[in-house]
Amino acid sequence: MSATECAAVQSIPDVQAAINSGQSLFLAGSRQALSSLPRGNWVGGTISYFMTDEGGRVSEDEIFVTPVPEFALSGKAADYGPAEIARIYEDAPEQGFTFLVAPASTPVHKNFAEQAPACDGFLLRPVVGWIAGVRVERIGHDKPAVFNGRSGAVLEDRCAALHVALPANKMADIDIVNIFESGGGPVVRFEEAGFSVGRCLIGGKAGNLAAYIGSRGISTEFPLVGDYNGTAINVSFQKVDPAGQKVEFYAPVFPGVDYRFAKPVENYERAFAQAASGDGSPDFACNCILNFLYGRLEGKKTGGITGPITFGEIAHQLLNQTLVKLYLRDVG
Amino acid sequence: MLPDIDHPVWMQIITGKRPFQSTKPTLNLLVQMNKMSYERDPSPANVKALIAKTHNFLGLYQALFADEIAAILK
Repeated sequence: MSATECAAVQSIPDVQAAINSGQSLFLAGSRQALSSLPRGNWVGGTISYFMTDEGGRVSEDEIFVTPVPEFALSGKAADYGPAEIARIYEDAPEQGFTFLVAPASTPVHKNFAEQAPACDGFLLRPVVGWIAGVRVERIGHDKPAVFNGRSGAVLEDRCAALHVALPANKMADIDIVNIFESGGGPVVRFEEAGFSVGRCLIGGKAGNLAAYIGSRGISTEFPLVGDYNGTAINVSFQKVDPAGQKVEFYAPVFPGVDYRFAKPVENYERAFAQAASGDGSPDFACNCILNFLYGRLEGKKTGGITGPITFGEIAHQLLNQTLVKLYLRDVG
Repeated sequence: MLPDIDHPVWMQIITGKRPFQSTKPTLNLLVQMNKMSYERDPSPANVKALIAKTHNFLGLYQALFADEIAAILK
């Protein structure tokens, strides 16, 4: 198998050659690296953190390449603004899936996170991808961006999609690896959806989440874990302000979901090795920058899974502190 | 084989009377979205819409989720 037939970190010249050969690609790399690529059927987003075969790596001059497989019927690059979230699903193929990348901390990131679950086509038309970011030490200075290689556009306020149509004998199966589980404390419920909350119900009683966290000294390294019918969906803490009685998250919370504080994880590398074993190599994967940072994963492996390390993961909806996997399954 | 859309199993799933839990995140998200929608709006019209959506989804993806669907509908 050649380097461009499976997902891997590649040099800029190799990616340039793959684009020029007509391949459809989903890319992750620094702004400088992606800016050096020719136009073609690709989309990408800015990130400099990767899970590689050798372990977690930070690189400005390599690109993580996920090729659209040869058996795909088509791969169509597109981009969407914050008022066009529903169109992502309208444009998605009836049989296939969509790769999506959105720039962090932008209206299109927020709107996708909050609106996608209510869109016609949600789940029915699988969307998988991630949130573009910058070097952690450059947060607030540099801006994340996404690229539409078809048009040549570099976009800081739109998301980029690669709609992939599959033949009838293939289906997209999105899976997640979550090393966190409920810590068994009180159930936290919210009245409204959003990235920022104050009031909530804690153990059935009205309270304020920031005050609760402050008064109990709860570590915000570990996420809130939402119970989605038995699947744990994380929402990570961005900022807790007990004085202002506000908590900011990296993904929205939703009413109707039972959340609990996560059980602490001591060894992320071991946790990923255990949780990500089996089921073979995915066709695409990404993992969260918070896992990379809190778990000190530079140079460490994540259960043999490779892919970009991102500012949010998309497995139908926006997730945090989660490893997302896409499998393209044979179905007959 | 997926039961017909008029089969009572669908109503039981949407109203939570028949547990529907899977190891597949996609299926659990579907059930959770249905649950949240039903809690917000338990009207017959919404239940009908949720049944249609669920039946359509499982019909499309029954090859992928065959084992899960068979277990759920036993």
